[in-house]
Order: sequence, then C-alpha cells, then structure tokens
Amino acid sequence: MEWQNWAISTVSFMLSYGTPLLLATLGEIYAERAGVLNLGIEGMMIMGAYTGFVTAYVTHSPWTGLAVAAAVGCAFSLIHAFASITLRANQVVSGLALTLFGLGLSGVLGRSWGGRPLPNALQSINFGALADIPILGPMLFEGHVAVEYIAILLVPIMWFILFKTRVGIAIRSVGEDPATADSLGISVKKVRYLCVAIGGLLAGAAGGYLSVAYRPAWTEGMTGGMGWIVIALTIFAFWNPVMGMLGSYLFAALYHLSFRLQPWVSPEILQSLPYLFAILVLVFIAQGSLRKRMGSPAALTLPYTRGEE
Amino acid sequence: MRAPSWIHIERRPSRSAWTVFYVSLLAIAGALVAASIFFKAYGVSPLHAYRLIITGALGSSIGLAETVRRTIPLLLIGVGLTVAFRAVFWNIGAEGQLLVGAIAATGVALFVPMPDALRLPAMFLAGFAGGAAWALIPALLKAQLGINDVISTLMLNYVAAFIVQWLILGPWKGPTARGFAYTDKFPASALIPRIPGTTIHWPTLILGVLAAVLAYVWVMRTRQGFEIRVVGENPNAAHYAGISQSKVIIMVMLVSGGLAGLAGVGEVAGIQHKLLDAGKLSLGYGYTAIIVAWLARRNPLAVLITSFLFGAIMAGGDVIKVSLGLPFQLVNVFNGLILFFLIGSEILMKYKVSFAWRKR
Amino acid sequence: MNKRLLVLIGLVLLLMGGVLSATGEEYVPGNPLKVGFVYVGPVTDYGWTAAHDQAREVCVEAYPWLDTVIVETVEEGAEAAVIDRLVLEEECQVIITCSFGFIWGTQEAALRYPDTIFFHCSGFLREPNMATYMADFYQIYYLNGLIAGALTETNKLGYIGAVPIPEVKRHIGAFALGVRAVNPVAEVHVRWINAWVDEVGAAAATQALIAEGCDGFAFTEDTATVVQVAADNGFFSFGHYSPMYVFSPEYCVSGQIAHWEAIYLDFIGKVYSGEYNARNLKNVDYWWLLQEGGVEAGCDPGMVINPAWEDELKAAMIVDPMMGTISVYDLVMTRLQQMSNPGITFDPFLGPVYDRNQTLRVPAGCILSFDELTTMQWAVDGIVGSWPDEP
Repeated sequence: MEWQNWAISTVSFMLSYGTPLLLATLGEIYAERAGVLNLGIEGMMIMGAYTGFVTAYVTHSPWTGLAVAAAVGCAFSLIHAFASITLRANQVVSGLALTLFGLGLSGVLGRSWGGRPLPNALQSINFGALADIPILGPMLFEGHVAVEYIAILLVPIMWFILFKTRVGIAIRSVGEDPATADSLGISVKKVRYLCVAIGGLLAGAAGGYLSVAYRPAWTEGMTGGMGWIVIALTIFAFWNPVMGMLGSYLFAALYHLSFRLQPWVSPEILQSLPYLFAILVLVFIAQGSLRKRMGSPAALTLPYTRGEE
Repeated sequence: MRAPSWIHIERRPSRSAWTVFYVSLLAIAGALVAASIFFKAYGVSPLHAYRLIITGALGSSIGLAETVRRTIPLLLIGVGLTVAFRAVFWNIGAEGQLLVGAIAATGVALFVPMPDALRLPAMFLAGFAGGAAWALIPALLKAQLGINDVISTLMLNYVAAFIVQWLILGPWKGPTARGFAYTDKFPASALIPRIPGTTIHWPTLILGVLAAVLAYVWVMRTRQGFEIRVVGENPNAAHYAGISQSKVIIMVMLVSGGLAGLAGVGEVAGIQHKLLDAGKLSLGYGYTAIIVAWLARRNPLAVLITSFLFGAIMAGGDVIKVSLGLPFQLVNVFNGLILFFLIGSEILMKYKVSFAWRKR
Repeated sequence: MNKRLLVLIGLVLLLMGGVLSATGEEYVPGNPLKVGFVYVGPVTDYGWTAAHDQAREVCVEAYPWLDTVIVETVEEGAEAAVIDRLVLEEECQVIITCSFGFIWGTQEAALRYPDTIFFHCSGFLREPNMATYMADFYQIYYLNGLIAGALTETNKLGYIGAVPIPEVKRHIGAFALGVRAVNPVAEVHVRWINAWVDEVGAAAATQALIAEGCDGFAFTEDTATVVQVAADNGFFSFGHYSPMYVFSPEYCVSGQIAHWEAIYLDFIGKVYSGEYNARNLKNVDYWWLLQEGGVEAGCDPGMVINPAWEDELKAAMIVDPMMGTISVYDLVMTRLQQMSNPGITFDPFLGPVYDRNQTLRVPAGCILSFDELTTMQWAVDGIVGSWPDEP
C-alpha cells in the first residue's frame, strides 16, 4: 500500500508542477536549436503570469487569460529577438536584461493585484470512471487541468517537427551552420525570429498556467526562479523535446520527494539533489560516445551576418 | 536592412575608447527618456526624479557611501568575470563562488584558533581559495568532459546556497543568535574595518582596485594573458599553436572564482559580520556583475567605471524607494531599460552612421 | 590612475566630514511627528509587511499630527543607509524597523543617533532610545489546534513551517497542544520550506503532506498558497497573518490575524504625549497577545470560526478535566475568553507538557517564562517530522 501512495502522489505532482517547466523548456529548445540563447525566460514567464491573471480576472475566462499570457510572452521574446538577431547584441546580456525588465515591470504593474484569489480558475477535468482505475486513475486522471495534457501532447508533435520535417531541418541547420543554411536559401533571420517567438509563446503560457491554474492568484515574483531551472533543463535535455519532458518531470518528481522525505533526509540535501543530478547525468553521458551526437547547436549564441564571420 | 539613401552606414574599422564612452552615454540618456514614462504615470516629474536620484546617489554623503559599498563586490566579481569572458567561459556561477568564499571566511573567523593579527588575512586567503575551488568544479567539467559551462555554473549556485542554509540552521547556528538562522557574530579581529560612519569596508575596496590593475596587466601583457585571449578569440589558432585550452580554462576560473570568493569575504566580514541566509548575502551581485563585466567590454580596468555606475544605480534605487516613494520594482525596470538601450547602442559601435548632406 | 586616486581620497574625506557630524533632531512632545517605517518586504505581500503597513495606515488616520514615510524591501545589512536617509534627509524622529534581521543595524543606528527613537520588531536588544515589540500568535495557534483536532478525520494535521526558529516552533508547539487537547491520538506533521515567502515551495510542501494523509493545514508563510491548495483538495485550513477567508470561504475555518495597530497606536501615542522619549526605552518591550488586542483569532476580522463549520464544531463533544463534557466550539470560545480577559486564566503551555522524546518540559501547574517561550527549540509531543536543532 505504501509504495502505491508514494507513486501516486509523486506522479500526480510531477504532472502539475512539471507542466510549466515542460512548456517553457520545449520553447527554449526550439530557440536554442536555431542558435539563440534566451536567458529571459524568467521575465517572460512572470509577465505571462501577471497578464494571464489579470485577463482571467477581468474577463472571467481562464482560457482567455492563458491566450493573453502566451501572446505577451511572445511579444516580450521579440524584444530579445530584435536585440540579438537584428542588432546582433550579446545574447547573454540581452536575455538577462529581459528578465530584469520583466520582473520589474510585473512587480510595478501587479502591485494592486496581490491578495485576490482568481474566481474562475481553470478547473481540473473530470474523467469520471477513468479516475477509478487503480493506481493509474488517481495518478493521471484526477485533479489535472487541460493544459497539463496539452503539454504532454506537444512533446511528440514538437519532436516530430524538429526531427522529421523540412521545417525542423531548417531550424537545426540554422543553429548548426548558418552560413550554409543561408547559402541554401533559408532565411536565417526569419527562422531565428520564429523560434524565439515560439519560445516566448510557450514561456508566457507556462507563466499563465501558474497564475490561472496551478495557484490561481498573483504574487510578485511567483515564478520563483523557475526560468533558470528551465535553462538548465534545456541543456540537460540535449535540445531534444522528449528528453525535455523526461527532465522536467524528473525535476518535478525530485522536488516533490524533497518534501516527502524531509523527516528522514535533511531538506537541504534533498533540495539540492535535482541540481546535482543535472550535473551528474551530464557527466555520465559525457563519458560515452553519446557526447558527439548530443552536443549543443554549434552556432548557439553566435549572431549571424551574411558575408561576415 | 536597407537604409534610406540619405543615410550612410559603414563598418567602423576600429573602436576607440571615446566612441564607446559617447555611445554608452547616449544609450543611458535614451533609457532615461524611456523610463520617464513610468515616472509620469506616477505623477512625478521625470526631471525632478532624475535630479533627486543623481544627487541622492552621488551628491550626498549617504548616497556616495552606499554607491561605493555596492561597488566593492561588483568590482571584484566583475574583474574576475572579464577574465573568464576573455576565454569565453560563461561563468554564471559567481553567486555560488561568492557564497563559498563567505563560508570559508566564516569558518576561519569563528572556528580556527589563531593570533588576532593573522585572522583577517587568513580569512581573505580562505575566501579566495574557497571561491576558486568552487569554480574549479565547472572548469574541470568543461576541460575534461566538455560539459556546458552555463549549466554547471548555474547549478552550483543553488548547491552553494543550500550548503549555506544547512550550515546556518545546523552545525554553525550561533548559540547567541537565539535560535535564529545566523551564525554567531564575528569576533572583533574578524571584522573588516570600515570608514567611520559608513559601511564601506575599504580594505576590500583596495583589493578590488588592485585586482583590476593586476588583471589588466596579466591579461594584456603577459604570455598567459596572451594564451587566454587567443583561446577566446580563435580556438582553432590556439589549438594549432599548442596552447592547452584546458589549462587556460582552469586558470581563468581559479582567478574568477577566487575574486568572487573575496567579494564574499567582504560581504560577510565587512557588511553582515556573520553568516546568514544566502539570498541576503549575495543579493544578486553575481548576476549584476555579469552585466558590469559585459559593459566593460571585458577590460578589467574599465570595470572600475562600470561597477561604480551600477553601484550608483543600486543606490539610486534606494532614493526611488525612500525619497520618491515609488514602488521599488521600478529599479529593475530601470536597469532593464538601461541594459536594452546599451545593447541597442552596440550596433552604433560596430557601424558608423553618417548623413548624406555632409560632403565626404 | 593618480588623478583618480586623489579624487577618491577627496571623496572619502568629504564623506567622513559629512556623515560624522550628522545627528537627528530630538522630538518635542506635542509637535507634529514624523515616523519612518523600514520594511523587509513589499507592502503588497499579503503577509508580514502588508499587515504592518495596514497598521500604519490606521495610525495615520487616527492621529492627524502624524506623518509617515515607508521604505519597502530593504535587505538586511542595507538598513543602515536607509535609516541614515530617513533620519538625516527625511527628518524622521521615530524609526520603526519591521523585521528581526534589522536587529543589529537598528542597534548601531540607535547608538549613532541618540536623539532619535527606534522601535524594533521581534528583537531582544534594547537601548535607552530603542524599544522592542512583538505581537505573538501562540495562543491563537492553540485555539486553531483545538478546532483542527476536532475536525480531522485522518488524525493527521499538516503544518507548513517557514524557518525553524523559536517563533515558528512555538507556534507549531501551541498548535499541537491544542490538537492533542481535543484528540489525544492525532499527529501534527511538519514540513519546512526554509523561506518566509515561497509559493512554489509551500504548494509542494502542502501536496507532500496531503500525500501523507493530512486533512487539515496550518502554516507560516506569507501568501495564501496553502489555503488554496488545501481547498483545491477539499481540506480545511487556517489563515495566517492576513484575513484569508476570501481565498476559500468554504474551507478556511479560522486562523490568526495580526493587529499591529494596537501596538503602534499605543507607542506612537506615548511618544506624542512625552511618556516615551529617547532616554527611557531601555526596558520597554511590547509582548502583546490576545489580552492586549495585538492579535485576533479567526480568518476574517470579527469571525473567530467560519460559520460554515460551526455546526460540526458544536456537535463535537469532548470531556475536559475541568469543564466536564463540552462541545469543542464552546471550548474554543471559553479558552478565548480565558486568554483575552484581564487576569489571564489559561495558557496553552500550562504544564505538564512533554516534548516528543518524553522529557518533561513544563512541570504540572507551571507555564513557560518569556525567555523560555522566545528561545524554545524543543518539539511538543505529537509533532512528526524533521525538527532542526532539537535538544
């Protein structure tokens, strides 16, 4: 009986807490595959959380809130895209600036919105009889909102696009060798803008999920550093959507366990585990020949100009 | 991008320090203009606000003291980061290195018996060693296994914070702290002297200035510095020249981490006088310093100016809070805007814009 | 380099001259008073700082001669410069620092500005011009515990604790004593999040406790996350610090509400009248509880118990050694009276009280002294979970 309880609670939590991580990671994977590092995820997420909450509050519709959150995240990411692609600025600094700006702006705008619960939060889906299936029922079909399932569905779709379609090849080639891609007629600029926008869209949606479904309220800084974890998860996933899913859920599971196991293991040790784990897995993989095939996109963080090196 | 025919855009052949300075100034002015929207929204005249901020941060003794106090860790870490960035090693882990330096200094301050006169120097040495050791981990991971520097340095920040947490709640919790999450207050021999009436711990400041000068000389004038720069600018050429990339990475990270560790000593022994919660100790200096280092165009000497600038901005944040009564989150908006404008101005440094009506 | 060095030295001299010679003004009773508030967080946090700021507003409304300045989100270690500004530039005659972490900074400032009055929250250092104050919840947590013990069906209550310091341990202890008074087999499961504000952590800790089987929750954290997560899963909870009834009218049963204004009105009033000045504060320490009106039981002002839960509590009968058979509802109200009326006749830590290692901590008929309360490290019997620094 005991292990079932542990399994159910862990997987259930994994799904709800892992979803924003997963959404944002999928987006950042695309951006980085095209060669653009976006450290502004935290800023996009928090702006998504704020605008999503306010919209949902005012329009009484959580889905409108989510849509607006995604749109705002996208708009924000375009600032970074403009700076790093068109102006060829340093991507690390541009991303950091975006995070600063997003955190500050959401704090300023959100000042009078704290302390109000969202009346029409996104409701969890009632699967009826499915929830009665032993073990799997409570794990997967109880207390989860639609966004969590959408996130899971996105994984194979985005994997397929990235690895099995021409669009995906274009994206990856822009990230590996923009000069060659350019000479083959692919618009490096367009592809990069598109991927950064996708990243922003998903990061904004992740933030919106937090304030509209996961914890239907607004508090300044409510993303709590999730954006930085996403950056790590992207690398941990070796820029592969499927690995991204595994990484997000693994991180969520470890986080949950760090609380459950607290009476027996020091909380600091447990809470640092996910971070150590990330490094350990990288070390493990680096030992093998997998390293060659799973390296970062070669042109990551390098701006591209035609006819220039 | 096609510009109208009356504007000429051509690449600058080189970049003089004056260009950088003027363009940066222009960018900051642009940011201030953009930020004035926010001041207007709160019914505060932007000019009045800026005047207050500048005089508040630089024109009063309190403000100047605050500016200098914030400059110290930014200076130390910033210099270290310029060195790391020269080798294109993205050290996002300065926060963690600062913390480990602080831990080492605390250990020496509270638990190692020694003659009083030696204590402070020992703390500085320990702090440098601690920060360097913490930076060695990601350096080795990259050098030996090719593991991405962004992720390894970032992850270790969290681990360092948890170690601090464990120490102050567990083995190092101070009996005199009445159960609160602090170590004991450091003994008098372990406190860095301050300028009276301020919180400026001047020995650390002097270390920072020294570090800037020494780092500049090291990177620009020595053989090792040459190797660092080649590895950073042209890894292939470095490889052919037989320069060991591993050795360079380890060298720069030891220095970068060590300097961040010194900043940690300064914070813990100069400001707080005890070890406390990680977030209250490092205050995001490790991340702000990235911007400071970038702004200095990886020139350790220029960090003297850029760290002072950001120290002033942070002190200006105090003015926003206290004198203007505006929400403090505006400071971040401010910082973000300044950064964006500076980023945008980068392009003006690569390209020269002139107008067609001027006969050439 | 040389020129820069000279400028630097010149500035330093300027600084020393500028700062060394400055002190604040002494206040003359009966004049308009300016008070500076130093906050550790934002006033929009709906927790600790919000409560202080609301209290401040009550004072400003009540006292027409009062003017205030606030500074939010001041980091520990940075309070010195902020206090300097408040005293020298804003000319505040009273400085109120609202966080334990400002303790040494406030003391140093008090020594630096002997004519300015300082008022420090939750600390233990005092000077002739520095007093301390605290409004503590432990009595109310006991009342919450009585309710929780009666309502739980799994006999497991959850407590999400911020940081394992004596204040929080005292609260959890009082809560557990209340639970056990009504339900001798129930347990209080504790999870620490090691932060005063951490929504994500609080939500995760609550989920973990739910998985453990807890069906009622109390907490110390500066947001209403726990209330929401508990309500989402159909479990009752106790609001903390600010009225959290609004976050779940269905599941928020009771809680604790801070009334810092009781203390502020009193202190500021006494400064205005001259009863307190910059020389006689060395022994002024406010430890205000229910009796003084510093705190209130409930999750909404004026509502000790959520009406939706009244019937259930009235139907829950227990046998009390002193009062015989009594409903939990009546027990809660009786205890509330006993602790609120002048001449307090009840204390949650009334002995015999054992810690969870079966050591007798409070002998029969005794209560804990102020010192013992404020340095409490042991865990009351019935508490389950990690307890750092357990003696």
